Amino acid sequence: MNIYYILQSLIDGLLIGGVYSLVAIGLTLIFGVMRIVNFAHGALMMLGMYTTYWAFNLLHIDPYLSILICVPVLFIIGAAFQKFLITPILDAPEHNQLLLTLGVSLFLENLAVFLWSPNYRVTRTSYEFAYLYIGDLSISLQRVLAFLTAMVVTGIVYFLLSKTDLGKAIRAASEEPRGALLMGINVRRIYWITFGIGAACAGVAGSATAPFFPVYPTVGGIFVITAFMVVVLGGMGSVLGAFAGGLIIGLADAVGGMIFPGAMKSIISFILFILILLFKPTGLFGSKN
Amino acid sequence: MMARKKKTNPFGKKVTRRDFMKNTAKATVTAAVVGTIGFPNVLRGAQPPEVVIGQIHPLSGFLGYLGNQLKNGCELAVQEINAAGGIKSLDGAKIKLLTADSEGKPDLSIPAVEKLDREGVVAVTGCLQSSVTIVATQVAEKQRVPFVVSVAVADKVTDRGFKYTFRIQPNAAQMGAQTVQYISEIAKQAGVPVKTIAYLHDNTAFGTSLSEHVVNNAPKHNMEVIARVPYSPRAADVSSEVGKIKAARSDLVMSTGYFADQVRAFRTMKGHRVNPKAFVGCGNGAFSDQNFIKELGKITEYVMDGNYQANPLSPLAKTMYANYDKLHGIKMAPSAIFAYEAIYVIADAVARAKSTDREAIRDALTKTNMADHVLPQGPIVFGANGQNENAQAAVTQVLNGKINVVWPAEYSQSKFVFPAPS
Repeated sequence: MNIYYILQSLIDGLLIGGVYSLVAIGLTLIFGVMRIVNFAHGALMMLGMYTTYWAFNLLHIDPYLSILICVPVLFIIGAAFQKFLITPILDAPEHNQLLLTLGVSLFLENLAVFLWSPNYRVTRTSYEFAYLYIGDLSISLQRVLAFLTAMVVTGIVYFLLSKTDLGKAIRAASEEPRGALLMGINVRRIYWITFGIGAACAGVAGSATAPFFPVYPTVGGIFVITAFMVVVLGGMGSVLGAFAGGLIIGLADAVGGMIFPGAMKSIISFILFILILLFKPTGLFGSKN
Repeated sequence: MMARKKKTNPFGKKVTRRDFMKNTAKATVTAAVVGTIGFPNVLRGAQPPEVVIGQIHPLSGFLGYLGNQLKNGCELAVQEINAAGGIKSLDGAKIKLLTADSEGKPDLSIPAVEKLDREGVVAVTGCLQSSVTIVATQVAEKQRVPFVVSVAVADKVTDRGFKYTFRIQPNAAQMGAQTVQYISEIAKQAGVPVKTIAYLHDNTAFGTSLSEHVVNNAPKHNMEVIARVPYSPRAADVSSEVGKIKAARSDLVMSTGYFADQVRAFRTMKGHRVNPKAFVGCGNGAFSDQNFIKELGKITEYVMDGNYQANPLSPLAKTMYANYDKLHGIKMAPSAIFAYEAIYVIADAVARAKSTDREAIRDALTKTNMADHVLPQGPIVFGANGQNENAQAAVTQVLNGKINVVWPAEYSQSKFVFPAPS
């Protein structure tokens, strides 16, 4: 095992970790802040990937520019999802929400099969094979761009949650909905806005991955379980936690991949996950409640 | 009936009962061709018996792309046979295709076979995955339904002494051994010594069994597998696995896997500048699929694959490719060829049995000796275990953006390029 191999694995782990972070940031808003177990998150990401794919192929818009289309589209889908499907059953037992999001996820995936066929599609940009080579190391430009996107999104969402009135309202509504209502916050409105933002983040994740990942209806499933893990690991509702958690899982998988074969490579990330839950049940950046 | 010349305007003339029956019969045939709409039994009275064939493939779920390719292959064969006048020894009986979705799950194939059985199929084809096929054939054996496997590579499928299971494609043992042999022959002819192989394969039974046969057969041709790296097809990133392959610095890089994961893996290998003398797939779900080239472009040039394939020199295969393109608007994946051929093998058995009785059809299948087919082999003949004895893999190579069969020589359409220029 030479030094290049180790460095290469770590770099790749870090970069794919950025993608995990990006998926998890949206989920931490929905699952972490609003406590909705959103199984449809992967499907929302898939919609983001298709939006980017079609924007690129039909309108010739660069995948990273298509984020500007993805954000409003996914925001509307997410907000409508919350407003028309989840709000009516907010008072029902939690597992009903879970079944609902699972159902929506199945619906969206099969809708994609129906509309766009199950065929794999690859977004082929002019820079798809742009790599930076340092000695024996190779670093993919697209993955670096995805990583930077994750950093920017983390910054924006963090700022939004901690510094703006909307962010304060979101946190208030999640921590103490009744109290927030008494303070004059329209909690239901905050809920659909939050869900919309979360879905928009999933869309951005889709845009950022579409250039180097084949697009197909069930693609979201590959990321969504990892994203749930990242959210819990980083601390429910913590944006910085989601970012750090994504990088940690990415690196842990890379180290695991160096040592163990095949699916066993996730062993290290799962062990880390269990250890963190054992010694810090609220997650890395989680607050007490 | 279709060639009737006299044209009547359906609105200008009172529709008689006879006309109605004629037109309905026409519609029934069309419906049977499309294979989706069933007409009430009453209207079928005047028709020769219908030959119902079932197919089970993963039409949804993570293998949906390939599953639909296989379904398309079945549909094409049915359409061709019916358009050519159906099964002649049964008064031109038309074939009707019934479809079941396995969703890629072995347990769902059980009710699927049972349902097809109840609906009176003469035979079933399926299931793309070995895991699903092993279960489905077991049920078919119990219900005495002839089962002609479309695609499933595991040796176990035909190694259980079943009487109703037949398989046309090469099994893992044949495919692994032949790929190694062919590559060594190619290297020998090119005068380029090849000693070491690094093998990247998916960690399911598919990649594990094929790579095992390659590992066991390589020494017979003075080669050695020096690195064997499994990966999970559901993993988002295979960079560290590719790192191990790169570190091996072998003469050849071989790989086995399904479509999406192989697209990712190959892309990563190219990005990481893994530069062997050749990339060689073995039963690879992507390397001999024209859509692989469409997705990744010119970096796929010179990629080889030892796989089940059609014989490109056969005129039947040329017609098949053209018709598939026309009917489905997508390039035919190699696996779809075997779903297509399976329907022909079943139809051939029905024609010889001159009956829709399953026992008669099973007996006819055991006596199959089919020379008119699209495969790179001699006649299709099933051994006592139901495996096609003459099954043969072929080595393909991407040349000028097209998949070409380059070995064995008698089926090759182009001269191979080896080693691949870097």
